[in-house]
Amino acid sequence: MLYYSLKRLGLAVAIVSVAMLLLFTMIYLIPGDPAAVALGPRATEAMREALRIKMGLDQPVWIQFWNFFVNAWQGDLGNEVLSDRPVAKVVMEQLPATLALIAGGMVWSVALGIPLGCWTAVKRGGMADRIVGVFSVAVIAVPSFVVAIYALLIFAVTLRWLPAIGAGEPGDLGDQLVHLILPSLAVGIGWVGYIARLVRASMLEVLEASHIRTARAFGLPDRQVTYRYALTIAILPTVTLLGVGIGQMLSSAVFAEIVFARPGVGKLVYDAILTRNYPLVTGAVLVTTVLFILINLIADLVVGYLDPRVRSRL
Amino acid sequence: MKQNIMTRRSFLAAAGAFGAATMAVPRFALSQDGTVLTVRSYSDLQVLDPAFRLSNPEGDIIRSIFAPLVIPQAGDVWGWKAIAVDSIEQLDDVTVAFTLKDNIGFTDGYGQMTAEDVKFSIERFADPAMESPYAGDWSALKEVEVKDRLSGLIHLKNKFVPLWTTTLPTAASCILSKRAMEELGEKITTKPVAQSGQYLLADWQPKQKTILRRNPDWAHEPGGFDEIHIIPIEDPATAERGFEAGDLDYTWTSVSSLPRLKANPPEGSVVVEKPSLAYVWLGINQDVAPFDNPNIRRAVQHAVNREEVVDAAYFGAASVGNGILAPGLPGSRDAVTYDYDPDKARALLEQEGATDLSVTLDILNQSERLTAAQVIQANLADVGISCEIKQNDSGTFWTLGSKDGDYWNKLQLVLSRYSMQPDPSWATVWFTPEQVGVWNWERFNNAEYKALHEQGLVESDFAKRDEIYKKMQGLMDESGCYVFLTHEVVGIIHRESIVPGQKPNGEPLLSEFRKA
Repeated sequence: MLYYSLKRLGLAVAIVSVAMLLLFTMIYLIPGDPAAVALGPRATEAMREALRIKMGLDQPVWIQFWNFFVNAWQGDLGNEVLSDRPVAKVVMEQLPATLALIAGGMVWSVALGIPLGCWTAVKRGGMADRIVGVFSVAVIAVPSFVVAIYALLIFAVTLRWLPAIGAGEPGDLGDQLVHLILPSLAVGIGWVGYIARLVRASMLEVLEASHIRTARAFGLPDRQVTYRYALTIAILPTVTLLGVGIGQMLSSAVFAEIVFARPGVGKLVYDAILTRNYPLVTGAVLVTTVLFILINLIADLVVGYLDPRVRSRL
Repeated sequence: MKQNIMTRRSFLAAAGAFGAATMAVPRFALSQDGTVLTVRSYSDLQVLDPAFRLSNPEGDIIRSIFAPLVIPQAGDVWGWKAIAVDSIEQLDDVTVAFTLKDNIGFTDGYGQMTAEDVKFSIERFADPAMESPYAGDWSALKEVEVKDRLSGLIHLKNKFVPLWTTTLPTAASCILSKRAMEELGEKITTKPVAQSGQYLLADWQPKQKTILRRNPDWAHEPGGFDEIHIIPIEDPATAERGFEAGDLDYTWTSVSSLPRLKANPPEGSVVVEKPSLAYVWLGINQDVAPFDNPNIRRAVQHAVNREEVVDAAYFGAASVGNGILAPGLPGSRDAVTYDYDPDKARALLEQEGATDLSVTLDILNQSERLTAAQVIQANLADVGISCEIKQNDSGTFWTLGSKDGDYWNKLQLVLSRYSMQPDPSWATVWFTPEQVGVWNWERFNNAEYKALHEQGLVESDFAKRDEIYKKMQGLMDESGCYVFLTHEVVGIIHRESIVPGQKPNGEPLLSEFRKA
């Protein structure tokens, strides 16, 4: 297990390095002068040049990349261009809102997806199975921003049950949860379909396994056979999928944060790209990449722990 | 053996319980208290230093927390209103006398506002060492002379007409504490020191909310609300939905939503349409072929049906503009010198042997611009010019014509929009020869235009200024580099329970909002 963990960790570091190298290459291929965009029309050429130097844009790209990595390794992601605030602080201010959004989306997808998957596996071939099958494909196919807009129009604008914008008052957990319902539904609804389909398929496979048949032959109750013996095995692919799902939800979070005017890392990166605020883009992307890889790493380790066959494959 | 784990009944019961729980949660509405005003801003704050502000919303917050000498007057006529001064008057062309109100204090123990603070704050703007992007606001400043504790004289190097329209009533007249700023030793970013305005910055939640609270020590006309919550929302559609859901008291709307909102306003709300000062035009780069030929440029001027473009892009809400100066300003025109005449356009193209022309039109990736560009594309196709539309994000778009890059010598047609302040010089300055390759992307280079611009800065007679600025726009027409489209319109929606403080062009003045 230790060897497996070290290998996964090494792979994670390599992925972060490659991702950041790609990001650096891409942002320097994007046209547009960050200093001109940041300072606006009234800045003089001297002011723009001073800002370019301050941002390190007068250095070759490989030196900028090297400096960024050395500093990032020491926990210094640089300072934000305009307000001069530390990038790490700016990102960390926004991260809890995004994590809450993803956690909310995950709750929706797990809380609905797993029971639906189990239920349809047990009811295989019946009307409920077919209806849930159509529903699953539908929610997978509909983009999250469409769900977001319709949910907002129905529950916030028409019914006025839930707020349309914001993330709730800091320190008021109830208010924050109320503000989380619609955005997290928008982020998580597509994954209800994925998880329901996956759990159903895994369950069908496991329910046909010999040990399940044996358990039934011994007269164990169906509920116990389904949840204790079948689901614990059928859930393994879902754990791996959830790791990937978090990455997907991070990208969906951008739409939810814009549509619901919520703070968050996705919107932060989006705004930073538009204003060519490179230190903020690189810092925020580094944090989210590390976060994504960390979550996948944990998911892989959990699966490896639960299933010895996975450990032996790597 | 019972097989059902979840019955239909139990599923429906669970769903029903969830729905009921959702409804039972108390709905938190920011705006129903009546002492809290919730408004939308199109950007979050980043810099609270008057000399380094980045956006209009920041300027409005700055004016609310650092008392300015004067602010723009709310209403439909451009003017100013005294805030920190008891009196202020122009003694002659180059001298302005002021006397401060006697009891304006700075927070954080920095004492009372004095004429020394005024001298420090204004001279700081103009100081070349400060490198303020707004140094031009005080470019005519010679010095501020302190007469006594509360009085002083602002001496100018030369007559400067925009002083009363686009310098004093902006954040350029905000007064900072000299002592506090010297102690700080750098520009103010997001943590203000020594606030002095009608409101104080109580809290800033990045990307979420800025809270202004009424200044308890402000002894003069108070702000209209206990608190103002400013929510940064870039997308106007999101803001409209936020308003309709009851989360906002005031927001701009997108122009495309105006007809719908006017026809069917949400209950308890007022939809307002204000004339904008901004100007939108189709620019033609005179240094890039085929537009280095003036007759080809004129062909484009005659090919574009301006009315059709504006109607399609703004859903009939905006009217056609005839220059860079909006109605009400000196130099505003009733017509341009070219008309929509596709036959004339075809004849000019034929005369120049320009058949099968293919050109590019760069635009910002916004729906209104795309619609306008598509109509222009159709108009040009009608006279035999094939036009490819190139959409750009804002970061790319605003550098397209820069001489520092290399795209300016490929840029052919560009659909642009500039915002404005209520003095014509704010519009004309961008088209002077010095601005070629900076913000003058048409590369229009006319010495007479430049001379007229300088003349306009020192001419205070309205009729003479009107003549100067009309002549300048005539030169722009004549160059063939411009097809003027519109000044747009500003859509606003607010609750009936508030009376918004607004400049004539609809820009908000937070400190002037009142309860109805």
